[in-house]
Amino acid sequence: MRLTDVQLDAIRELGNIGAAHAATTLSQMLMCQINMSVPEILVVDIGRICDHIGDEYSAMVVFQLQGELEPGGYIILLVSRESALRLTNTMLGMTDTDRELGEMDQSALLEIGNIMISAFLDGTAELLGIVMLPSPPELAIDMAHAGMSSLLATMDADIDEVILFRTELMDEEHMVNSDILFLPDTRTLADILRLLESIVGPM
Amino acid sequence: MKPSRFYEGTAAIVGIGEHCIGPDPMATIGLGSCVALILYEPQRAIGSMAHVMLPDSNGRVDRPGKYADTAIRLLIDGMVAKGCRRQRLVAKLVGGASMFAHFGGNLNIGERNTRTLKTLLRTEGIPIVAELTGGNVGRSVVFTPSEGGRVTVKRADGTCCEL
Repeated sequence: MRLTDVQLDAIRELGNIGAAHAATTLSQMLMCQINMSVPEILVVDIGRICDHIGDEYSAMVVFQLQGELEPGGYIILLVSRESALRLTNTMLGMTDTDRELGEMDQSALLEIGNIMISAFLDGTAELLGIVMLPSPPELAIDMAHAGMSSLLATMDADIDEVILFRTELMDEEHMVNSDILFLPDTRTLADILRLLESIVGPM
Repeated sequence: MKPSRFYEGTAAIVGIGEHCIGPDPMATIGLGSCVALILYEPQRAIGSMAHVMLPDSNGRVDRPGKYADTAIRLLIDGMVAKGCRRQRLVAKLVGGASMFAHFGGNLNIGERNTRTLKTLLRTEGIPIVAELTGGNVGRSVVFTPSEGGRVTVKRADGTCCEL
């Protein structure tokens, strides 16, 4: 998978818009300011994903991409377990951080993921002119790499590299950090690039 | 978020589709549906590990460690080349969990990985002396051939066990 710098920039910009939408909704839900990192976009060999995503104990809210583009790839809200607890505490009006993520936390995480990822995809849809709909979410609370590699295994068997689009959303007040990971499959990526090209011209 | 890695610095990290052969510690982090295929030759204290992602290569040859069928050949041949006796090889399997119930259709890839590896190991006549497979939890593994082939498995909550 060879992407030119212009193509990478175009995808970064697409993600930037999506992430800004997601940050706005998170900010509204938590009623505080959310800072957003400059999106990182990496083409990573599957064997080296472990250099970027490790076995940290995390909550992952995962959506499959559906809609006008064929089902193709995933979008993931990744939150460390500690951040997830602080996030649901803020939402549920609790303070205890020394506990397991229970049923209430899990529904809260699914809900917050739903709202943020829908906003992300709304943002990208505005730019692309087509809609990528999220599937119903699934939640895993486990090692981040275990979740990621399991999703990869359900994608095209020929995939040896992934586009890791990653942006960090930070709520300084509640010390909540989250990542949005966008994992389009080969065909979705080609479709997205084609659409971006029709907007900005040949890349 | 910074990635954390089990046994960082002290073990060679075997990424998805990669493999490692030798006496020194080797590890995989965050196995989900992937399986760590571990072969060990007790007399020589040499071992090998592959991070298998899918059951069947369907003729692909570019990344032998990624598929169950090609990974087994790769490890056996690699160990024999290092002077191991084929008849003395034993196997351990870790991973093959199912992390997401609804993604990937009806295919439980973790279970298929495990089942395929077991069938192939039986065909090769290599006994499986320990395994920790299935379920729905992620696992990290460190394997130290030089210390009696010790295999330590860690779960996300930090609990460890030895195989």
